[in-house]
This record gives sequence, structure tokens and C-alpha cells, in this order.
Amino acid sequence: MSLVETQQLTKVYGQGETEVLALDHVNLKIEAGEFVAVMGPSGCGKSTLLHLVGGLDRPTEGSVILNGHNLAALDDTRLTAVRRQQIGFIFQFFNLIPVLSAQENVSLPLVLDGARAGTAAQKATDWLTRLGLEDQCHRRPDQLSGGQQQRVAIARALISEPALVLADEPTGNLDSRAGDEVAGLLRRVVDEWGRSILMVTHDPRIAAYADRIIFLKDGRVIDETRLNAASVGEADRVKEKVEAL
Amino acid sequence: MTVRHVILGLLAQQPRHGYELHAAFQAISGGQELWDVKPAQVYTTLARLEESGLVVQEGTSQDAGPEKRIYALTETGQAELRTWLLSSIPSDAQRDAFYVKLMLCLALGDVNPRTVIQVQRGSLYQELHRVTALRQSADPHTELARMLFLDKVVMHLEADLRWLDMIEARLDDVQQQPLPQPERRLRGRPPKQISTD
Repeated sequence: MSLVETQQLTKVYGQGETEVLALDHVNLKIEAGEFVAVMGPSGCGKSTLLHLVGGLDRPTEGSVILNGHNLAALDDTRLTAVRRQQIGFIFQFFNLIPVLSAQENVSLPLVLDGARAGTAAQKATDWLTRLGLEDQCHRRPDQLSGGQQQRVAIARALISEPALVLADEPTGNLDSRAGDEVAGLLRRVVDEWGRSILMVTHDPRIAAYADRIIFLKDGRVIDETRLNAASVGEADRVKEKVEAL
Repeated sequence: MTVRHVILGLLAQQPRHGYELHAAFQAISGGQELWDVKPAQVYTTLARLEESGLVVQEGTSQDAGPEKRIYALTETGQAELRTWLLSSIPSDAQRDAFYVKLMLCLALGDVNPRTVIQVQRGSLYQELHRVTALRQSADPHTELARMLFLDKVVMHLEADLRWLDMIEARLDDVQQQPLPQPERRLRGRPPKQISTD
């Protein structure tokens, strides 16, 4: 069973003359442990897709199956529960809480969920260690470099162990070096910790870190390409494809 | 009242007529997509500023279309602008329409508060996509200020989304507590002490 499966997923915004078909009967699958990027011109439906897969909006037609749950069939309370257990979001800005240490920032989602303080702190330390921050656990965000803050934010997204991580232009505001760092970390999230990622990006270089790229246009999947992360020149190949759209 | 002061500032730059002011307002406030000020608002504000003696009609211009009145800043207007420039802008972050709505929803009990949070989250994400797309279309070589402003908008939206996660996670606890009530204040004279002996 795939982790995510969309069936005839369709979203229409507006009514009558202002009607916009944002997604048009899209069928796609994301396997467990797969890194998928979505690309396409602006208005192609990529954000809508992320939105629907993340359970943030309901489809006009069709369905999203996430880890066996048909999201459309859940009431809001159950949808909320599934979304919180299964999905992590990676934002563009770290938005760490300045008065909390790295470890406290990372453990916050668990603490809010009612986990015991000791358990949450231990898990936070484990994640920070995996991301190479074992010596920075007790530092506050202003005592960390930009790259370190980013890793804290990623640890925070992973601590509730979501099966699927959604990232909407995660490198949107970063220079190319920092962008590569984030993309490299996302790659590790998949390779080392077996999560799946669905990432929307406009940057072919960042998309080249994925296992597979889905190209959307006018709400439809028009192309799909598998990448070989080990081979050089993949970014150029992606770029050519994007330009051809 | 920011609109008022932005108009004063734009007139300090150079005298302008209403139509020009409206265009300049939108350009300097980050673009129409971020602050869609209506021409009518510019015209009524101009009229009020004129009544208060902060701006004055300086003449008219007529290119091809109808005659346009050109406005300029008075000395009082200059002083008012300077005071505004050197003062701080109060944050409006403490007044939150969504928070009040959620509290009322908890008080009334007939709408699922998780639905209310979900609807808000959906709309914040939509807005986040929209602003992110605007940011990507900005040219870093000529529109750096606007890009940084859009960064601010993105940061705020993301912070609001995080806050929704926090309140959603604690919703059961919140629901177990009494809703905020006004403090009881005694009105009028204190009641007479009735002696019991």
C-alpha cells in the first residue's frame, strides 16, 4: 500500500463564470520512504495539491488516502487527529521560540500533546543528536547559526514522527548555499529516517534532490520523471524539462 | 491613522494630484496585492487633510482629460509628518479577531472548535501560498525592500499557523477551564450592613 494515494483528485474554486479548475482528476501515489517534488508554472495547482494531501482543504471530487485513511470520509475532529499524527510541515522560516533552548523548542510539540517532560526532552535530544547538534541542546536560537537553527526546526518537525513531511517552497527565501543545505537535510530525512516528503518547489536545483518529480500544468499531471540522485547533471535535466513546459 | 500620514509623506516628496497619489500609495506600501487602498479613500482623506490645514490645493493640471487638482503639504502638514516619522507604530497583533471567534465558539458550543481552527488554517495556508508566489516573482536586484516586506508577511503567517497548532493541541485542556468572564464590579453604594444582633 502506498503511503499517499490520490484518486481522481479534483478541486474547483469559485462558481459559475469565476470557476477555476485548480486540480483536474489527479491520480498519484507516494510510497513510504520516497521524496517527491512537484513542479510547474504558477497557478498549475501544485499548492492546491499540497493543501489537499495535507488535509487542509476538502476536494470537490475524488479522494486522498493517507496511510489507509480516506481523508474526505473523516469528520473534522478525526481529520485533525490524523493530520497531527501523520503529517509534519516544514516552513520557510524557522520561527523558533527565542526564550526556549534548542531542546525545548524541539520537544514543544510533544509537551503540548501531553507527553511527559522527561520523555519529550529525551526524544528531543535524540533528534538533535541525529542532526549533529548534540552540543547545542541547551543553547537558545540567538546563540545558534542560521544553519543550526534550520536543523532545530527540522528536528521539531520530525519529533512527532510523521510519516509524511510536506514542504512548500522550503528554500524560498534562502540563498543557494543555504538552499542546498536544507535540500540535503530533507534528503537525509528520507534516506536515514524513512519518512516520505512531498515538496513543492520552483527551483530545478532543489527538485533534483528528490527521487521523482511530478510536473503539473493546468491542474493535470503532464509528466513525471525519476531521478538518480547519485548522478551529476540531474539538475540540468530537470531545468530543461521545466523550461519545456 | 496610517493612510493619512502616508499621503502627507508622498506630498512632501512632491505635490501630486489624487490619481497620482493613489498609484504612489500602492507602489510604496508593497503593491495592490498587499494593501488595496481604494481611490475613494485617498480622495476623502485628502479632503479631510485640507480641512485640517495640513495640505493645500496648489493649482491644477490638465493634460488631456479632465482638470486635476494638485495638492501640496503646508507647514503644519510638514510638522505632523515629522512627528509621525519619529514616533513608533503601535502593534495591532494584540487584537485578534480569530481568537475572539474561537472563544465565542467555545462559549456557544454548537460549532466544533476544531472545524473553526481547520477553516482558519486552510485560509492561512492559501494566503501563505499566495504571498510566497508574489515573493518569488519579485526581482531581488530592484525590489529588495518589497521582498523583505513579503518575508515579514510570510513569517507572520507561519507564526499564526504555529499558534493554531498550539491552541489545537491544548483544546481539550482549554475546554475544561471556565471561559473568561468579566470581573464582577459592584455598582452604586455598598449595601447596608444589616446588624444581626
